[in-house]
Amino acid sequence: MKFSLNRELLLKPLLLVSGAVERKSTLPILGNILFDVSGQSLTLTATDLELEMVAYASIDNHAEDGKVTIPARKLLDICKSLPDDSMLSFESDNDVIKISTGRSKYSLSTLPATDFPNIEQWKGDVEFSLLKSELLRLIESTHFSMANQDVRYYLNGMSIETEGKEIRSVATDGHRLAICKISNQALELPSRQVIVPRKGILEIIRLLDPVDESVQVFLGSNHIRIIDTEFSFTSKLVDGRFPDYRRVLPRNGDKILNANKDELRQVLSRASILSNEKFKGVRLNFGSTELKITANNPEQEQAEEVIEINFPYDEVEIGFNVSYVLDVLNAIKETDVKFTLADANSSVVIEGGESGEALYVVMPMRL
Amino acid sequence: MRQAINKVRKIIHVDMDCFYAAVEMRDNPQLRDVPIAVGGNGARSVLCTCNYKAREFGVRSAMPNSRAKALCPDLVIIDGRMSVYQQVSQQIRAIFLRYTDIIEPLSLDEAFLDVTDADFCSGSATLIAKQIRADIFRELGLTASAGIAPNKFLAKIASDENKPNGQCVIPPDQVDNFVAEMPLRKIPGIGPKTGEKLLAAGFETCADIRISSVAKLHTIVGKFANSLYMRSFGIDQRALETERVRKSLAIETTLAQDIDSIEQCRQILSNLFSKLLLRLEKHADRSIVKQTVKIKFADFQQTTVDVQSNSCREDVFIELLQRAMTRADSRKVRLIGLSLGFSNKEPNEAQSQLALF
Repeated sequence: MKFSLNRELLLKPLLLVSGAVERKSTLPILGNILFDVSGQSLTLTATDLELEMVAYASIDNHAEDGKVTIPARKLLDICKSLPDDSMLSFESDNDVIKISTGRSKYSLSTLPATDFPNIEQWKGDVEFSLLKSELLRLIESTHFSMANQDVRYYLNGMSIETEGKEIRSVATDGHRLAICKISNQALELPSRQVIVPRKGILEIIRLLDPVDESVQVFLGSNHIRIIDTEFSFTSKLVDGRFPDYRRVLPRNGDKILNANKDELRQVLSRASILSNEKFKGVRLNFGSTELKITANNPEQEQAEEVIEINFPYDEVEIGFNVSYVLDVLNAIKETDVKFTLADANSSVVIEGGESGEALYVVMPMRL
Repeated sequence: MRQAINKVRKIIHVDMDCFYAAVEMRDNPQLRDVPIAVGGNGARSVLCTCNYKAREFGVRSAMPNSRAKALCPDLVIIDGRMSVYQQVSQQIRAIFLRYTDIIEPLSLDEAFLDVTDADFCSGSATLIAKQIRADIFRELGLTASAGIAPNKFLAKIASDENKPNGQCVIPPDQVDNFVAEMPLRKIPGIGPKTGEKLLAAGFETCADIRISSVAKLHTIVGKFANSLYMRSFGIDQRALETERVRKSLAIETTLAQDIDSIEQCRQILSNLFSKLLLRLEKHADRSIVKQTVKIKFADFQQTTVDVQSNSCREDVFIELLQRAMTRADSRKVRLIGLSLGFSNKEPNEAQSQLALF
């Protein structure tokens, strides 16, 4: 294998695939990236056996086709620290690859491409395309509610659901739930539901720019794949039964509060400074004309904030993990938010003032 | 806690001489003049400890039985009597308590004592150590070695200097000389691997470390760099941990024969799990935060997989086992272990998050 290309042309695909590189695997080859040179094109592949990232680069001149795997971390660090616009030449020789530019020469040890694990062949049975900005919105609206290392392993990911003209994302850690729906009249989708693992979701967010270009999404029985002109992302799915979000949506909410999102966010983040660092509890007292927010910590320090509201119902006092509420307020893009609540032991529904694309359910704390 | 902060401390490290073997020799006079070792009797067991007679043949603790037998065919391997050793350990602790109550037990046969403020023997730590060793010999018929120094790490190193049945003092004004000449392998935390790495980078003694920098050391030993740099000047500020809170509860087994089927592994896991539950009964008041599965493969590489969990569930361990086995890469399994991590804080009942489902 022998080729050369500009540093900038390599750096972008290298950064794209490096997210899948396993850092502490017992399989050394998973720390490597597969380089496949064929004609004028270079294909880079990285995998941690759960997800696989493929990216492409065109090479400037080509001398010899070939495949080899190169240590990802070292190659990336070398490329990053070389000067802009360096012209890099690669040449593989037995079990090393020599990289040279100007007066710099590096030789890295390689592992044979034949040992690089392949994700088994599979066929997508549901396929649709949507804008990158839409897919990103679908995921960013809910991803923060995913569980992290929960025993209920199926919560450590995001449920992606298709049904007719609608695509939904649902994430929950058992204390809060987030759901986002995107509909498109051009779609005609079968009803399907898959769970994408947490790491895959975080990788997708890293991959996508909020632009109006479309990407293809394929769902198979065990995999999800996202294909773009620059990359191809494949992740195994989590095998498990995701909770039905319809059963979690509260029906007893009869008190509605409309508030300015930024004002509410500011008072909550200030009050949170003096909440218990571990439990993050804050107390919200909804009165007819004002909402009082109080927090205190084990050192007996106390915060109190008041904002004016219009709340023509009986008084309600509810405790919340303030981080859960702030996560929601940060995700909502509209200027106003709507809270629908019932009592101190029932979950509250939070939505943006207008669009209704995303909906959040947060369970209270007993304080 | 009345541990001294800003004055020169006096720390004693007491280390019993081949403890388990010594107890056996004390209780069974016919074993006194033969090479003996304490350990399991299985084909793949390793020795816990052995007496000096056995050490003359090159037998060492943690050596596989088969190898020990090859070195010393007459070696008598005795099944350990853990409950007896625990009882003797309690008696030793009772002796320590006569001199100080700032005691950090490291295991059944080793402990650190802080005697900075002890009034005995006109405040001489050297004499206190001597007296403790004399008490242990007179009352329990066992010998101990001791190291006396201004901090824990030097005391520990010193106790090894004149073993068995001896002691070594490193007075504050000799710390500098003592440490400078010291080979790095003696520093607790530097094993064969790290020692090799340091040697490869040109570090042989503490003097070599002193002229380097923490940043440089960091590239070789990672986060241990700062401690290593401090140790090379003989500095160790760590106070004695007198009340150690258990951080985890673990159980593991080395298999009589390497296995490779997931079914066999699950069988072993089930056995371990029921034993773990029994042991957990004593710690029912602790809140669990983590479950871990450990696998050691036939090539002695090991891997662990863990998950946050607030209970001890077998299906979770099985799930972890399956994840660990994806790393087997056609290697067989030598050892399986299960462990539970405990929360270090008492649960705060005042605030509780309600669940959605």
